[in-house]
Amino acid sequence: MPKVNLDNLADYARYVLAQAERCSANFPLTRAVRLPALTLTTRLGPGGLADAVVDGFIAARDDDAPADACRIFVAHPGINGIAAPESWGNALFTQHGFATRLAEAGLRGNHYHDLDFWQFYDPERRVGVQLMTAQDSFPPWEPGAPLRPFLHWEYAARGMRLAHAGSLGIGGKGVLLAGSGGAGKSGTVVAGLLNGLDSVGDDYVLIDLSGGVTAHPLFSTLKQDPEGFRRLGLKERLGSHGPLNWQGKYQFRVDDIATRPTPSRLDMIALMVPQISGGEASSIMPVSRKDAMIALAPSGIAQMPGERESGFRFFSDLTRRLPCYRLSLGTRPDEIAGTIADFITRGGP
Amino acid sequence: MQTSGIYTIASKDIVFESFDGEAVVLDLTSGKYFGFSDSGSRLWDALSSGVPAAELAGVVTGAGPLSATDIDGFVSQLLEFGLLAPVSDAPAQPLSGTLLAQLADTTEPLKVDIHDDLADLIVVDPIHEVEEPLGWPAVKQAT
Repeated sequence: MPKVNLDNLADYARYVLAQAERCSANFPLTRAVRLPALTLTTRLGPGGLADAVVDGFIAARDDDAPADACRIFVAHPGINGIAAPESWGNALFTQHGFATRLAEAGLRGNHYHDLDFWQFYDPERRVGVQLMTAQDSFPPWEPGAPLRPFLHWEYAARGMRLAHAGSLGIGGKGVLLAGSGGAGKSGTVVAGLLNGLDSVGDDYVLIDLSGGVTAHPLFSTLKQDPEGFRRLGLKERLGSHGPLNWQGKYQFRVDDIATRPTPSRLDMIALMVPQISGGEASSIMPVSRKDAMIALAPSGIAQMPGERESGFRFFSDLTRRLPCYRLSLGTRPDEIAGTIADFITRGGP
Repeated sequence: MQTSGIYTIASKDIVFESFDGEAVVLDLTSGKYFGFSDSGSRLWDALSSGVPAAELAGVVTGAGPLSATDIDGFVSQLLEFGLLAPVSDAPAQPLSGTLLAQLADTTEPLKVDIHDDLADLIVVDPIHEVEEPLGWPAVKQAT
């Protein structure tokens, strides 16, 4: 097969999908996890992702909704019958052009050039393949939010969306925290969890607009840089911890610090844009929907391959449905958590 | 001189939404976002629907009447950003009374901000970590 370009991209995607399905029996491991309205079954080999595709998720509890079955193959040439991934040729690569060409063929896809790493998904049949050069040859962010593009494509196909947002709640109601990296989302979520609030995610949550704005958990991982780790007292709280991850952050699980099991959903009552203010006390003030949209949508759309226009419309709809506020963060975790808890309990500032 | 022209949205990959009268535009191809002030949003509405730029000179906004220079500068920006394109054979649309009233109610000067920190040329991951000066696809090294 010649190097991949826009003209043969859809053919290559179909070839990769068919190859994995044909070799299904050769994948040594099967991992299954129940997610909201979805049973995700991953066929793969041993290695760094084998645990992540189970432990990296929060299994949906008490989810009586019918679940569709989604199959993902994590493939590499070490699995009998799987050919080495092709490289992208010399043709210009643009994310939008790549996604558009696949969408015209009814497919979804993503490519990370440095590793010849491909992800292809057929949303109609709910089958996907992650093709790598070797079993641990995946981008460093993959274990923290495993198989994220596949979930993005699958849930987008049913009108839901993975949002790049944090969340905090109490009594089944909650607030979405929007902003790009460094805005204070993760620190705010950890502050809330340590002080008795619930969360359905600090970086990605699954949003459903079919009955109000509801957020569901998918990924179990939380992250904090060393400064936040120290400020929030996590070293003492966690006892032991692993090494810094590829972002220079400590990585741990939500159930390491939460006082209650992760709720299966939070009904969102507001969209908040956190801001590190440097002031002593936290405050919550209205912010324009335009500013809230710009805090929420760009990173959510940039981090999820394809589906750009539908994502833009979805996040616009979400932003119009919720009152929007700027959350100026104080310095004490308990005070931040208390401010948010009071807001949620009162239903407003 | 831009103010004699009629313009249209540059391509089907330019999409926009309005929030309480303030427009947010996304260029699907590049991943760049554009946020408009309230008066900028009204001008975007007018220009993108075929109102000739010349008709907008002298229109009163909350910050005062718009000069031909104001309009020219704003249109030049939108052309440079690839959001509008000139058209030669489209019929001119009138500036509606509603839009005139909305322009009079604005409080902010003409402005469009570009949000391109997550645009394609510098986004490699996913997880918002890139060395911006190096461009795509240089992953930010952990410190």
